[in-house]
Amino acid sequence: MMRPVDCRVCGTRVLVEKNSLPHTSVQWTTDAGATCGEFAPRVASGEYGALITHCGALRDAIDEAVRDGRIEVPPDDGPARSTE
Amino acid sequence: MDARVIEAAPPPARFARGWHCLGLADSFKDGRPHAVEAFGTKLVVFQGEDGALNVLDAYCRHMGGDLSQGTVKGDAVACPFHDWRWAGDGRCAGIPYAKRVPRAARTRAWRAMEQNRQLFVWNDPQGNPPPPDVVIPRIEGAYSDEWSAWTWDGILVEGSHCREIVDNVVDMAHFFYIHYALPTYFKNVFEGHVATQYFDGISRDDAHLGFVPGAPTRITQKSEAAYYGPSYMIDYLWNIAEGVQTETVLINCHYPVTRDSFMLQWGVIVKKFPGMDDAAADAMARQVGDAVKLGFMQDVEIWRNKAPIDNPLLCDQDGPVYQLRRWYEQFYVDVEDVTPEMTNRFEFEIDTARAVETWKKEVEENVANGVSYSVLPASMRS
Repeated sequence: MMRPVDCRVCGTRVLVEKNSLPHTSVQWTTDAGATCGEFAPRVASGEYGALITHCGALRDAIDEAVRDGRIEVPPDDGPARSTE
Repeated sequence: MDARVIEAAPPPARFARGWHCLGLADSFKDGRPHAVEAFGTKLVVFQGEDGALNVLDAYCRHMGGDLSQGTVKGDAVACPFHDWRWAGDGRCAGIPYAKRVPRAARTRAWRAMEQNRQLFVWNDPQGNPPPPDVVIPRIEGAYSDEWSAWTWDGILVEGSHCREIVDNVVDMAHFFYIHYALPTYFKNVFEGHVATQYFDGISRDDAHLGFVPGAPTRITQKSEAAYYGPSYMIDYLWNIAEGVQTETVLINCHYPVTRDSFMLQWGVIVKKFPGMDDAAADAMARQVGDAVKLGFMQDVEIWRNKAPIDNPLLCDQDGPVYQLRRWYEQFYVDVEDVTPEMTNRFEFEIDTARAVETWKKEVEENVANGVSYSVLPASMRS
């Protein structure tokens, strides 16, 4: 299930799901190229947002949310995610 | 428990909004009209005396003659049936045997442009011009002496909607099972009209595929591939074999022919090694292009036999097929019906650990059992 995570730098809220520690799914609900502190200047200077792999500050916020349990990571042998 | 049922709506009646690459621009610049079957009709591409490439509906609005069978006269294409002349803007430029041209004598002109030495045509069922931010990015290597010339090739795929090729953007596992690659890192980002696939991989000891010319050796692969709109993917590839890096740009593009057929095309340029001349660089590009062709033939074989499926059943190690299709949907609805869900940024990084472990084991077993999928393109066999 997707859970909200707020970036501690620019405050942008995204929805995050992790099926395992290496897996990450991030759904943005704002215009990332305008709201994200790391993306905005790069997109403004002509880069494509989709060609930027991730926001470092947001990744830190997600890692923190995983550490303090706000984002649950199912155990490796847990039930498979049902997708649709 | 009920068995899962495959759902599949008929393919969409309309063709995607966006720039579609028709091929290398030079291939249309021989002074003759060229036929292109696309978007459910036939187009004629011709270069006028002013040098610009023009794209019109191929069927003459007079009596339906096929302009692609005609001749170029000045800046217009002349119909083989009665010599009616049509200019690149769709205007009737003259009827030699008539006193005057009928009022409102216009045919459909398709917006066209050149980028990366390729010809693009804009399709929009609503008839709008492309928004300013919907452009085809420039590939520097296409204009540089340090790179080869483009190779170009294509296959007509019949009986499949072009969604099949776009699905590959997220399909990590098919790279192992269909293309004999071994992905180790796989991530997608969709945002706006761009969909990106980040792919790192290693070559397999049970398969040598000719992507890197020379003796079969272990290769580390890195790829950054993005669709700009519904049909034009630029794939930047870096292969490292024995410390030597090969840089390649692969175009993977298509245009729809009918609702359930499309022309799949690809082109390759490679960066020259120091001291390499044009001929050697072009030969290297051709080898890579041939290897890419084998890969696409493997896809085509799957598509020819598979069922269309709107409700794929996915596991954790699959990529985000549903989100990709949600992104792809933006090109099939009116522009005012494009929702933020279709264009908002979405990131998905696959946990590849289990897959890599399984695949490495399978490769080891193949090597131990003498199983090899090595396929060398004809141009590499000596």
